[in-house]
Amino acid sequence: MAREVITPEKPAEITHPPMEPTEELRVERPSLRDWTDLRLGWWGFVRKNLDEPMPPGVGWWQTLGNLLLTLLLFQFVTGFALAMFYAPSPQSAYESVVHITTLVPLGSFVRGLHVWGSTLIVVVTVLHILRVFFWGSYKKPRELTWLVGVLIFNVILGFSFTGYLLPWDQKAYWATVVGTRIAATVPFVGHDLLVLIRGGEEVGALTLTRFYAIHVMLLPAALMGLTALHLYLVRRLHIAGPVLPQKGKPVPFFPVQLFRDAVVVLVGLGLLVYMAAAFPPAIEAMADPAGTDFSPRPEWYFLGLYELLKIMPQGYEVVATVVVPGLVSLGMLFLPWLDRSPSRHPAMRASIIVAGTAVCLLIGLMTLKGILETPPPHGESHSEPAPTHAMRVE
Amino acid sequence: MCECKNCNNCDKKDDGLTISRRKAMAWSIGVINLAVFGAVFGPVLGFLGSPLRARSKKEWVSVCGLDDLEPGKTKEVTYVVRVKDGYTMADHRYALYLKRDGDEVVAIDPACTHLGCKVQYQEKQARYLCPCHGGVFDTEGNVVSGPPPKALIRHAVEVRDGQVFVQRNA
Repeated sequence: MAREVITPEKPAEITHPPMEPTEELRVERPSLRDWTDLRLGWWGFVRKNLDEPMPPGVGWWQTLGNLLLTLLLFQFVTGFALAMFYAPSPQSAYESVVHITTLVPLGSFVRGLHVWGSTLIVVVTVLHILRVFFWGSYKKPRELTWLVGVLIFNVILGFSFTGYLLPWDQKAYWATVVGTRIAATVPFVGHDLLVLIRGGEEVGALTLTRFYAIHVMLLPAALMGLTALHLYLVRRLHIAGPVLPQKGKPVPFFPVQLFRDAVVVLVGLGLLVYMAAAFPPAIEAMADPAGTDFSPRPEWYFLGLYELLKIMPQGYEVVATVVVPGLVSLGMLFLPWLDRSPSRHPAMRASIIVAGTAVCLLIGLMTLKGILETPPPHGESHSEPAPTHAMRVE
Repeated sequence: MCECKNCNNCDKKDDGLTISRRKAMAWSIGVINLAVFGAVFGPVLGFLGSPLRARSKKEWVSVCGLDDLEPGKTKEVTYVVRVKDGYTMADHRYALYLKRDGDEVVAIDPACTHLGCKVQYQEKQARYLCPCHGGVFDTEGNVVSGPPPKALIRHAVEVRDGQVFVQRNA
């Protein structure tokens, strides 16, 4: 597709030699593509991205970023749709989610896409991070790409924590009571922090509006800014390629790598659609601050932390709530400066690889323990909402 | 050609004392930006932090009749109070464990002192168990085992005219 890029700085030369009448007509009335290209430079932007050189050895592992981007866009679309039917107050949040799930056509499916989408995003993000970690792709000059990526990971966890409360059912309420209490274990300012997060002493109307505002305004804005920066850096610094340079010439992103991306996106989205259709998300009984017969559990990817809290001896909970997560976060954030080895080869940076693998294994084991010890869900099966819910709406 | 260190287009020499027009404007732009940021973020942060200034006061609530409690036994009661919840007044239901000894009643708050899950009373074991992180308390609310840092909170109780009143934060 050899085509001259038209930019404002370099308009197409059209003065000589003398033109045929048909050509003159074309210049006076340029095609829509030429017209827009002169003004937007869109084609040049697209072509620059499609021609992005991929070092030899780049393959299926490098498709996760694109899948993640697609999932996040999907999440934005389904979230927007859900927000149109959702009302963030203790009096109406639960009813509105029951309404979405049971009465709005395709409501259960759209909610399923959003709920399963959040799980899939966490899984793909972790795989993406692990790929970059083991390939050592965060090394000079890509330190900031990694740092911004870690910030995006934290924003994603923020999304899942704030989104978890919104249905205002038992699970949502109690996971938030416990989750926000974690802030209170911070030394000195813990209680103020708790009140700030909850908007008061108890989880209530102001907690819900706070979490809703953060979930639909603050975090999306942060995510967009950080993702734009991340993508800009990825293109500016180019793909790192395999740990050891491989023989061969770089090939353009289009078509081979983009085709791989498309296949992975298709499989990922296919899985998401299947999960949303086959396992529509349940909604439990409405939040009851007086209920003592409920065992709160966080979303599965916070279960590692939950298990860690169980084994902490009396008075040391701050270790599990602040110290360990804080150290892991800081370690992740500053990994490019902790790993001083100039080589990207795993054998040449054994200590970091061992430490990282140990942390991953520990988190994995704790999460697995948490999953195995999770009692079966309360109430009815996933696919059929409890009759009481339907009655509440009518 | 200007020899001034601070600008490209004036004909004054930099004497180290006179501030150049260019520098003065750069500083002014900085100050204006700070003022604009302050004008937006100051009120917004104060607004968001307003729950910190809310002061709670105590109130007495009737929770049940003394005759509803069997001497020597622990009973879970729920009571409803009208509370201000942010922008709304709402009826909130709360749970409480009451233990009667003669005419004395002990009121134990079911919120685990670890991370706030509701503890469940097990009559056979005479223990409060927290379903979250495995905290165990005795019938008086003292920690037996697990991660909770302190005993379960006890509310002040008064019995007036056969009614049990409990003091709570309003």
